[in-house]
Amino acid sequence: MKAMLIDATRCIGCRGCQVSCKEWNNLPSEETEFFASKGYQNPRDLSSKTWTLITYNEVKVRNRFDWVFGKLQCFHCNEPACATACPVHALEKTEAGPVVYNASICLGCRYCQLACPFKVPRFEWEKALPKITKCTMCADRVEAGEEPACSKACPTDAIIFGDRETLIVEAEDRIRNNPRGYVHHIYGKNEVGGTCVMHLSNVPFEELSFATDLPEKSLTDFVKHGMQPIPFVLAGLGVALGAISWIVNRRIENKEKLHSEGGQQ
Amino acid sequence: MMNTDVAMIMGSNMAENHPIASKWLTRAKEKGALIISCDPRYTRTSSFADIYCKFRSGTDIAFVGGIINYALQNNYIQRDYVVNYTNASFIITNKFSFYDGLFSGYNPNSRAYDKSNWVYVLDAQGNPRKDPTLQHPRCVFQLMKKHYQRYDIDTVCKITGAPRDVYEKVCRHYTSTWASNRVGTWLYAMGSTQHTHGTQNIRTYAMLQLLLGNVGLAGGGINALRGESNVQGSTDMCLLFHILPGYLKSPTINDQTLAQYIRNYTPRTNDPKSANWWGNYSKYIVSLLKAWYGDNATANNDYGYNYLPKRSGDYSHISLFEAIYSEQIKGFIIFGQNPAVGGPNANKERKALDKLDWMVAVDLWETETAAFWKRPGVKPEDINTEVFLLPACSSIEKEGSITNSGRWAQWRYKAVEPVGDSKSDLWILDAIYKSLKKEYEKGGVLPEAITKLHWDYGNGDEIDPHLEPDVHIVAKEFNGYFMKDITVNDRAYKKGEQVPSFSLLRDDGSTCSGNWLYCNSYIGSEKKDNKMARRGKKDAVNKIGLYPEWAWCWPVNRRILYNRASVDLNGRPWSPKRYVIQWNNETKKWEGDVPDGGWAPGDRYPFIMKPDGHAWLWASNLNDGPIPEHYEPLESPIENPMSSQQVNPAIKLWHESNPEGNPVGDSERFPIVGTTYRVSEHWQAGAMTRNLPWLAELVPDVFAELSVELARQKGIKNGDRVIVETARGKMEAYSLVTRRFEPFHVNGKIIHEIGVIWHFGYAALVQGDSANMLTPHVGDANTMIPEYKAFLCNVYKKEGGVA
Repeated sequence: MKAMLIDATRCIGCRGCQVSCKEWNNLPSEETEFFASKGYQNPRDLSSKTWTLITYNEVKVRNRFDWVFGKLQCFHCNEPACATACPVHALEKTEAGPVVYNASICLGCRYCQLACPFKVPRFEWEKALPKITKCTMCADRVEAGEEPACSKACPTDAIIFGDRETLIVEAEDRIRNNPRGYVHHIYGKNEVGGTCVMHLSNVPFEELSFATDLPEKSLTDFVKHGMQPIPFVLAGLGVALGAISWIVNRRIENKEKLHSEGGQQ
Repeated sequence: MMNTDVAMIMGSNMAENHPIASKWLTRAKEKGALIISCDPRYTRTSSFADIYCKFRSGTDIAFVGGIINYALQNNYIQRDYVVNYTNASFIITNKFSFYDGLFSGYNPNSRAYDKSNWVYVLDAQGNPRKDPTLQHPRCVFQLMKKHYQRYDIDTVCKITGAPRDVYEKVCRHYTSTWASNRVGTWLYAMGSTQHTHGTQNIRTYAMLQLLLGNVGLAGGGINALRGESNVQGSTDMCLLFHILPGYLKSPTINDQTLAQYIRNYTPRTNDPKSANWWGNYSKYIVSLLKAWYGDNATANNDYGYNYLPKRSGDYSHISLFEAIYSEQIKGFIIFGQNPAVGGPNANKERKALDKLDWMVAVDLWETETAAFWKRPGVKPEDINTEVFLLPACSSIEKEGSITNSGRWAQWRYKAVEPVGDSKSDLWILDAIYKSLKKEYEKGGVLPEAITKLHWDYGNGDEIDPHLEPDVHIVAKEFNGYFMKDITVNDRAYKKGEQVPSFSLLRDDGSTCSGNWLYCNSYIGSEKKDNKMARRGKKDAVNKIGLYPEWAWCWPVNRRILYNRASVDLNGRPWSPKRYVIQWNNETKKWEGDVPDGGWAPGDRYPFIMKPDGHAWLWASNLNDGPIPEHYEPLESPIENPMSSQQVNPAIKLWHESNPEGNPVGDSERFPIVGTTYRVSEHWQAGAMTRNLPWLAELVPDVFAELSVELARQKGIKNGDRVIVETARGKMEAYSLVTRRFEPFHVNGKIIHEIGVIWHFGYAALVQGDSANMLTPHVGDANTMIPEYKAFLCNVYKKEGGVA
């Protein structure tokens, strides 16, 4: 099973990964202003247009100020709760590792969003027939024997791609060889049954805004119980979504109108 | 870089601006190297360093002078290296003295030194007198020791604002590389050069590296991280006013004939152990003239030397813009440059453009410079300049070479067709030349300079919009070829054959070479003979990452310059585990990299480009002193604690000679130190990145970074709209309040520093004020590189300007 290892101690925050992701997946840019969050972060959060995002975290490590960069994206769980939650199997864990998504059968019910422990899947609020979007680990590239666009672009090999087992050994080696340089934990090795995107860091993972209260057991059983009443809910869903989409689009149009008026002044 | 033990990153933010180069330092770090980052601001580079030391902008000489003093006082120097390979042992004339910030020979009226006060004492043979014991009171070593004694740790910290404990740690760790088996590398970028004492900043780095024996070794050296991916190539090819291709000097009015020119620039030595490579000067200039004027260049007409313009002064950036402003220059062709954003005192430079009769801008986009006539605040109808915008191809839309900072010339192929009607630079230049030639054939002043040029790049005499000139012919001409059949050392070369190496270039007109340094890059007539296109991935025997079969490196594929300094006098490497070259006693040959000359160990001094063969700790040819001395920037918040010379005494004071538009601020009105920098998301003046939505998304607005303390004092919150003001202009920006800037304790005062990114302007998809509206017209005493990196400013909240 293929996976990615992201080492915060190697990341220099250049965001080549963020741009190459948009380039490969043909995602539009977002309209931003100044910086949306800490440091140079932009945009504010993952979205239907932004599948991976670098965060800038000012941290005190051993009484010394440090600037540590985190990478947000789909973790590609070994046993993904999102896929279990999906009533139509639009989300699917592949043998190769990536959790992929089939837009043509997605209902837009957003249960995957509720199920995901990492809050990764995003909804195309701006579209009339919105779908769920998220990082695919560049499944098309992986299938063709290539590595994902983000790891390919990374100049310092902070993101590396390979077999999950090999990467775990590599991560353990790095911690062993530099015990003072790392938190002794491979984030994603065991979380929620293990994930295909794993992280190393020199600061506690909560400093990178990672959830640190997750069980080691997969969430899929839990999700299955929760999903039993679904058929009853589905009926009303289409109506509700249509209404939301209308409201959102109207807001976007108004904002754009405001912008073009502003531009003429 | 990956071979180093200690890396000093000073004046560079490589993680943000050279992320690919950072890869090699992160590798070194994983192998146990220590990384030090010294910068006024905690950057993304500092985040991967082991030690971060802050210091105030413009105080590099004090900072590094202190490390030099630390090395000298504690005897942390590689003595064998210093004695044998540098000019430390050379005796200096007794006319030399130094008092209160001035070296001997200063003339305050011309603001210039008589450099004959700093020269070596010569022996009966005319060679420099030496004292290998380094004890003579007037040997370079002792003079340096005396000079830098004044740079003790307390004084340095008082000037720079560096915290004492951290600074001491930096001194201790970096000088640990004096041991012959330890190597340190020094990385800087263009910000270090952008000071009124920029040349001397870099000199301090080089001097320290020499004292520690770190030059010529793997994992050592001075790494200049250049501002643009092909800066090395463009300087090699003379994109500066003072040089011709291959670092030959551009002729001045004192060089009226070829003989005079050659005499003035060919250094001489009487020391048989000095290779004095520039002794070959005449071969390179004559071969260059043959490349330019072909068969029209003959011995009878000085090979066309008379066609070359002889300059009468300084044609650097600031001087050119002052001349445009005062209407001495009325026409302007500008290729891939955007001074309306990137030029110092940009308001003045924009106004200068208003005074032109015509301007031709060649660029990928309509830049701020190309659009100066419709910039905010001016009426296009008031500007009479006729402006032409020629659309140019990007680097991936054309074939050619690009030379990186390691001097590797790498051939690149066209990946996609040019957008619209855009053309390659080569096509545009070829077309301009052909049109000019037609005009000059009708007459004019000195028409031969144009009409006699040998100009045949494969697409005839007419301008054809669909036909590219052949870039391979250009590359072959740079390499050079034989102009007639000749025999050298029993080997016959045919007319038209490519010259295999610059050692075969001649000054009798039998060879041509458009750039002697590139001789050996294209060694035959076929495309397979283009060594720049090689893609071999095999490393050399020494396994230090030279990859000699990947592309081609000048000179003659030597990957590390001055590598003869990496071994002792017997050819044994100082650091055997990462040797660059080593002498094989059995084969009597060097192994590893291409050696800096194949002579046996100890037969020649290693610094072959210097007439005396030694690296110069002492440089008597510089305009502002033979060894660096700390002066404050033109605009500084304090009086110079080192001497009564406030600023570099040898700089040109534009605010005195050309006061209009050149005001200088004082620390009463402008108490804050300002500096400018880049981010990884944008490129230089921004045209190539502010037009790309994905990059505009990441950094959409210009911002000013300031410390929490200064923000509190000024009532500024993160994200507020602020005004940054200097004596020359004001700009608006978002405030980024950060702990990455901290106030400095300087000479008993608290000094604040702020930084502004300089990528923005009024053209392109995302726009903002240009930071260079703040910077002054003043330059380095040797290079005239503008002082972008240290000025005085003030910052305050824009009224009602909360975002």
